[in-house]
Amino acid sequence: MKKYKITISGMHCASCASNIERSLKKVSGVRGASVSLMLKKGRVECDDSVSEEELKKAVARAGYKAVGMEKE
Amino acid sequence: MPAEEMEKMDTHHHDQPVEDTEIKDWKRKLVWSWIFTIPIAILMLSERLFGFALIEIPYSTIVILLLGFPVVFIFGWDTIKGGTRGLFTFYFNMDSLIALGTVIAYLTGIFSLGDVVLDYSGVSAMIMAFFTTGKYVEAVARGRASQEIKKLLELGAKSATVVRGSKEFTIPVSEVKIGDIIIVKPGEKIPTDGVVVKGESAVDESMVTGESLPNDKVKGGNVIGATINQDGILYVKATKVGKDTFLAHIIKLVEETQSEKIPIQKLADKITGVFVPTILVMAILTFANWWYFSQDLSRALGVGVAVLVIACPCALGLATPTALMVGSGMGAKRGILIRKGEAIQTMKEVKTVIFDKTGTITKGKPEVREIYSKAKENYMMEIAASLEKLSEHPLSKAIVNKANLKKYKKVTGFRVLRGRGVEGKIGKNEVIIGNTNLMKEKKISVKEFENKIQSFEENGYTTIIVSENHKAIGIMGIADAVKEDSLNAIFELKELGFRVVMLTGDNERTAKAIAEQVGINEVIANVLPEDKAKKVEALQLEGMVAFVGDGINDAPALKQSNVGIAMGSGSDIAIESGDIVLANGSLSGVVSAIKLSKATFSKIKQNLFWAFAYNIIAIPIAIGGLLHPVIAEIAMALSSITVVTNANLLRRKKI
Repeated sequence: MKKYKITISGMHCASCASNIERSLKKVSGVRGASVSLMLKKGRVECDDSVSEEELKKAVARAGYKAVGMEKE
Repeated sequence: MPAEEMEKMDTHHHDQPVEDTEIKDWKRKLVWSWIFTIPIAILMLSERLFGFALIEIPYSTIVILLLGFPVVFIFGWDTIKGGTRGLFTFYFNMDSLIALGTVIAYLTGIFSLGDVVLDYSGVSAMIMAFFTTGKYVEAVARGRASQEIKKLLELGAKSATVVRGSKEFTIPVSEVKIGDIIIVKPGEKIPTDGVVVKGESAVDESMVTGESLPNDKVKGGNVIGATINQDGILYVKATKVGKDTFLAHIIKLVEETQSEKIPIQKLADKITGVFVPTILVMAILTFANWWYFSQDLSRALGVGVAVLVIACPCALGLATPTALMVGSGMGAKRGILIRKGEAIQTMKEVKTVIFDKTGTITKGKPEVREIYSKAKENYMMEIAASLEKLSEHPLSKAIVNKANLKKYKKVTGFRVLRGRGVEGKIGKNEVIIGNTNLMKEKKISVKEFENKIQSFEENGYTTIIVSENHKAIGIMGIADAVKEDSLNAIFELKELGFRVVMLTGDNERTAKAIAEQVGINEVIANVLPEDKAKKVEALQLEGMVAFVGDGINDAPALKQSNVGIAMGSGSDIAIESGDIVLANGSLSGVVSAIKLSKATFSKIKQNLFWAFAYNIIAIPIAIGGLLHPVIAEIAMALSSITVVTNANLLRRKKI
């Protein structure tokens, strides 16, 4: 189990945040994802098998960009 | 300019929000959009304004298409691009609706040249211009909502002056290591958490604890990173750096709260998730119905576009986060940290507030006030302090301080009897020190001290009995002064209708004496530390309970309660254990925290009500064809602005 804090650019509405959450949760091994529009940040809880690259891709798939990723 | 001065200036100038670029971006788009949209509006309305058309159809359509192109496809490109991609990837968002609405409207202009439909192309530029304007205002308001938090995030010092060898170096804060000696000059920020090793000064800690009066720091005193040294030079040994500092903890906590979901938001979030596709379907159905029944393609398109642009998931999605942001920001400024957003919702159900006594109602710095001994007082204090020296308990410290020994006796077989006392051997003598319960347990008679014990307890002293070889030799009355604002705070809580209870390990009489001083009528005494959580559980049978304690010894009780309020002073707080954490140890913070929670929650409710009401009323009106698309877009923009502005109004509330 590990946790990431992702800084995301390109969000400007509430649907954006829920889109990113949806996309992150689709990644296999992700246990929970929560995105804050106000802070432009997302938090992800996932298995150790999940790579940072996969998470970045998930953000991109929803149409946004992960500009920073920090392991907690 | 020397680096040090730059740093000082820096502290005054980093109020610039992170969102600045976003706001600037929207502003630029807004200005350019309107430069092209205003002529379009004049052209469109010229017949009504002046009684004649400035440019005849179809030339006016061509002019509007030319003017509108940059508005929709250049300044609005990000929206069009994001929205269109959403349509293909099934990650729909707000942009999808606007993109579809504006592109359809724009296309009508082109098709109108072939007489297929009436020209709505002017509308497309106006929708985009209003959308951009709305987004700009919303971004500004959102920036305002998070201003306190942003300040907190940028509070840390940038550089530190460290002594290595005999030289001073100025290095970035990130390079400071534990054990480094840092020089902090007057007016500078203390770079990281540490302990003063030389010098003395007053330190302004208001930014992290909300405590307005500066704290005096001398050798041995703990200092918190990001607080400001006021008048003396301090030499500080770094004890915590980077992610472990108090400030880093606070920031993490605030961010966690912000990305956490509050139960009341869950429904809104579910709706937001399916909102855009639902509206897309509704718009298509509306268009098809209108076309089929009215046989008027233009009208059907206009109504369809109105439905697309009036729906606003933003108001729904922003209702909770903005209010929570403003609320937690207001709190952070006052040293009230909301760790669990859910606590805000739970707080309104809370009926009972339970206070732990030591360190919560009282200062937690007990002092020996009276000694009564049948043996030689010096001797009694010597053996007592020698044992207590080995314990960390606050009462032990009081005894050690009072005895003020230069040399301690050697103790063997030392043991802490949790919640009751200590025991050990000095030479051959068996020493047991503790409260009356412990004496009873060990069958040590305190008969000859009974009267004295009673009078100590009536004064609110905690009574400690010292025994040697199973014979009591003397007693000590230890008092812990009540915090100055405890009386007021408890009075206020009762005014607000809360049942107030005090919980303590002290015996009944001592506890009652303290309770009386602060106006608490209900006391649960003689509670062992491990039983506190059970007592909380028992009280929960009668309604929801908030527990206020120090967060270190009280962690289980804080967890058991519905809302755990952990308090401490400065960096000594166990942040992880409370739902709400008070950085400064005053009880008035509890009242403020409760008021703030209630005010924030009622703001959230107002916002959600408004957001739901708006969509429930506006969408049917648009479907009914009663709204012009431009009016629909204005209403949409206003709805999310209203929510964010309303959240900002929370600041007016007196906490």
